[in-house]
Amino acid sequence: MSTAPMSSPLLETAAAEPTAVTDPHFVRVALRSLRRNKVAALSVFVILVLAIVAIFAPLLAPHDPLHTFPSGLSNQGAPMPPGGKFLLGTDESGRDVLSRLIFGARVSLLVGVIATGLASLIGVLVGTIAGYAGGIIESILMRITDVVMSFPLLLFCIALIAVTGPSTRNVVMVIAFGYWTYLARIVRSLVLSLKEREFVTAAKTLGVPDLTILRRHILPHLAPAIVVYTTLGIASSIMIEASLSYLGIGVPLPQASWGQMINSGQQYYQTAPWLLIAPGICLILTVLSFNLAGDWLTDLLDPSDEVTRR
Amino acid sequence: MPDAPLQSTGPLEGGPVIAVDRLSVTFPTTGGDGRVVRDVSLAIGRGERVGLVGESGSGKSLTARAIMRLVPRPGEVSGRVLLDGVELGVGATRDPTKWRGRSVAMITQDPLSSLNPLVRIGPQMTEMLRFHRGAGRAAARARATELLTAVGIPDPARTLNQFPAVLSGGMRQRVALAIAISCDPRLLIADEPTTALDVTIQAQVLSLLERTTAEHGTAVLLISHDLGVVSGFCERVIVMYAGRIVEAGPTEQLVSAPAHPYTRALLASVPPIQGELPERLPSIPGSPPLGGARIPGCAFAPRCPIARDVCREVEPELRAQARDGHEAACHAAGDPTWEIPELASTAEALP
Amino acid sequence: MSQVPTPQQAPTTPPGGAPAGAPAGVHAVEVTDLAVHFRVRRGLGSVHTVRAVDGVSFTVGRGETLGIAGESGSGKSTIARALVQIHRPTAGSMRVGGREAVGLRGSALRAYRRRMQMVYQDPYDSLDPRMNVLRTIGEGLSVRGVARAEHRRQAAELLERVRLPETLLTRYPGQLSGGQRQRVSIARALAVQPEVIVCDEAVAALDVSIRAQILNLLKDIQQDSGISYLFISHDLSTLRFLADRVAIMYLGRIVEHGTATTVFAEPQHPYTQALIAAVPEVRTARVGSRPMLAGEPPDPASPPSGCAFHPRCPRATDVCRTTAPALRRKASGSLAACHHAADAPGGTA
Repeated sequence: MSTAPMSSPLLETAAAEPTAVTDPHFVRVALRSLRRNKVAALSVFVILVLAIVAIFAPLLAPHDPLHTFPSGLSNQGAPMPPGGKFLLGTDESGRDVLSRLIFGARVSLLVGVIATGLASLIGVLVGTIAGYAGGIIESILMRITDVVMSFPLLLFCIALIAVTGPSTRNVVMVIAFGYWTYLARIVRSLVLSLKEREFVTAAKTLGVPDLTILRRHILPHLAPAIVVYTTLGIASSIMIEASLSYLGIGVPLPQASWGQMINSGQQYYQTAPWLLIAPGICLILTVLSFNLAGDWLTDLLDPSDEVTRR
Repeated sequence: MPDAPLQSTGPLEGGPVIAVDRLSVTFPTTGGDGRVVRDVSLAIGRGERVGLVGESGSGKSLTARAIMRLVPRPGEVSGRVLLDGVELGVGATRDPTKWRGRSVAMITQDPLSSLNPLVRIGPQMTEMLRFHRGAGRAAARARATELLTAVGIPDPARTLNQFPAVLSGGMRQRVALAIAISCDPRLLIADEPTTALDVTIQAQVLSLLERTTAEHGTAVLLISHDLGVVSGFCERVIVMYAGRIVEAGPTEQLVSAPAHPYTRALLASVPPIQGELPERLPSIPGSPPLGGARIPGCAFAPRCPIARDVCREVEPELRAQARDGHEAACHAAGDPTWEIPELASTAEALP
Repeated sequence: MSQVPTPQQAPTTPPGGAPAGAPAGVHAVEVTDLAVHFRVRRGLGSVHTVRAVDGVSFTVGRGETLGIAGESGSGKSTIARALVQIHRPTAGSMRVGGREAVGLRGSALRAYRRRMQMVYQDPYDSLDPRMNVLRTIGEGLSVRGVARAEHRRQAAELLERVRLPETLLTRYPGQLSGGQRQRVSIARALAVQPEVIVCDEAVAALDVSIRAQILNLLKDIQQDSGISYLFISHDLSTLRFLADRVAIMYLGRIVEHGTATTVFAEPQHPYTQALIAAVPEVRTARVGSRPMLAGEPPDPASPPSGCAFHPRCPRATDVCRTTAPALRRKASGSLAACHHAADAPGGTA
């Protein structure tokens, strides 16, 4: 027996390859798929570049993003256009735009990853417990989820910041609070169908404790879904962070953030359009890349198929 | 009542209803050479009932789907299929909807998959009648009621207004059969029609299948893994293994004097319901090969109790045996120098 | 509801034929008046009680195989699932190795599960596709408290018992054939050294040539280890081959119960007779018309009055429509629940 298994009763053939996740050579499969899918390859590349830029921001940035250069403003006090010492020009306070963009990437990515990670953690926990336990526990958890989902997130955020003052930590908390519900719902429905699978019943009748079953037989099958929805979630989180910062209730000044750069740049859109264009392109490119990468992962991992495949 | 499908001149008397000539199905993604069905040729006469028997991976269902032009992509079909002497898929028959469901009908293991779950039984039946036979709305409904009565549905008027999901498995198969025979097909392909049913219901459906097809002289190709079902229903049996026909012949001949060791093993490995019971079951080691796997020589040789070197090197042709219409693809068949030992009763998996 | 004579004694009690109340350990399994009812919602609001299993009693001796047969909806799988505690019984008692198993919880339940294992129908769903064979069998070994360092050796031994090569230990279910998977499934059950294995249609999904191997294997394992099987199947020929005794179920109740030899040679209940007649045996000549059971099994949520089989029964009379027959010893020596089968001299059990 050296060939792949048969799984399709219709074909009665060995046509079905093992799905990407069950394949021990997952990385190789992923790389092969990237070679075929140029768009996905490009978005993964953008994300990697972004990550490197964010991590090594202090080394890569030509200037201190917070420093106001006297030479960064024209004699009339206007921002300097791109070129020369300031590759992407300066902003209205004479700070280097490129350096601010680079440090802004740090903020965007950090907020996106931490907020989504936190949301995923809560969502998976709630969804798994609700789906596996069932009964009254499930009802309570899912009603809480429904309530949170119907929260007006923006108003909630404004209220929170009115009380505690703007901070990056608050932005992370607000986004995590808003996003976990989606994952909780998805995970719950996946767990509901997983726990009907015969191998879960088999483990149960073997006398394996519930927590071990969750860890060993349920969570690994959720991995594809978690990876896909977390990737897509990062894109949304970066958008929300930008929106909050644009509204002035996100990342506080003078720290650089793309959203808040767009906000302050928009009043100069006629005289200094680069203040708007540069962070705008960065934001679009980043969000697009995460979304495209998420789509690619969906195709590669097929999160629902992994659970329901018989 | 029966109007001639396809040809206005009518089929040639005595010629086969369906003739399959060296049909092969290839899946490029599978291991080996990907040939899941290999050079299958068969012919079925008017009103004849032929059984196609095989295990999973034998290619029996794909043969049926290839006849119906229903092989999913990326599968490729080669060979010819002639319906009443007219090659299917060429010229006037290029569009399968011209003959599929009308001249050649099919019922499957799970009628739920062929019936639309969101549409009531009535519209699903009348749609077919109106499309293929141009019946009017009222006439189609009357005919549908008539058909449901013919397949033994107790309350046809009520059933017409029901959704497929509320019917039991046996009733669904009856409805599927009613739809299949609604256009008086020349050939009905029944792919494991009773596998999902309880034995008492299986007996009912088989007897119904026999009655309805006999009335109209419909030829039947019954596909099943169960030699018991096939031998009770068919006049002729074809046995497939690893995509090839390994034995074919009149049921009585094939069952009482099987020429191929695989057929012999299939017959022996089912415990009898009456008479003497063996302490252990005669069986063959290993598993059937995966579809499309390439095996040199005879595909059954690795599991065959009597295989010799020649079996592992030369693929045996399907040759005529002593009795009329009996064919087998085995080097040992009909060769008196080849002694046939008793089948071992092993519990072995693949070595 | 009819009273099934209890405690019911097996027609042939294998070791010694001990009377009821004998010291624990006579029977591997002793089920008395088991009932499993489900509440199902039909349409808007109306709730029905489905008596999936009702008043079922049987025993399985040590080293013995009890076969349970019946069509879908007969409750045979529900019995299996009640025994391995996936379903909770509504009433009745299940004694395994002499100890009551109904109502166990927590660690007592886990300890019970070690003694009662199950092999499932679908070899494509009963193994976790993400765990290789070693881990799959190792899960059973861990439950029994085998140290991890021992897993590879013991798993290899278990594979040998199910006639699989050790080299498969690193394979994933996706790389195994249906027959190999079912063997792994059996090895996993054996890993906890159970007293009883419940086989729920364990060979139904397998190819004919593989089925014979697995049936032989199950027999070998029983001969080597003296394990008991509760073998649930719709396939009567399989049961005839494997089972010492059989129970035929219809709509949640046992309608006939006796040694396999007697039940198949002299079926007493018309339903048993019809089931045997409907088995598609390989025939040399086509059989035009054989006696065939009309109709379909009734809806378990609204069972017929009297004998549940009467609407389909060729021998039904007025008494069948009003009075449910008790399970009584018949002249053949089997127990059967039919008004029209002659009782054994001496009457009930």
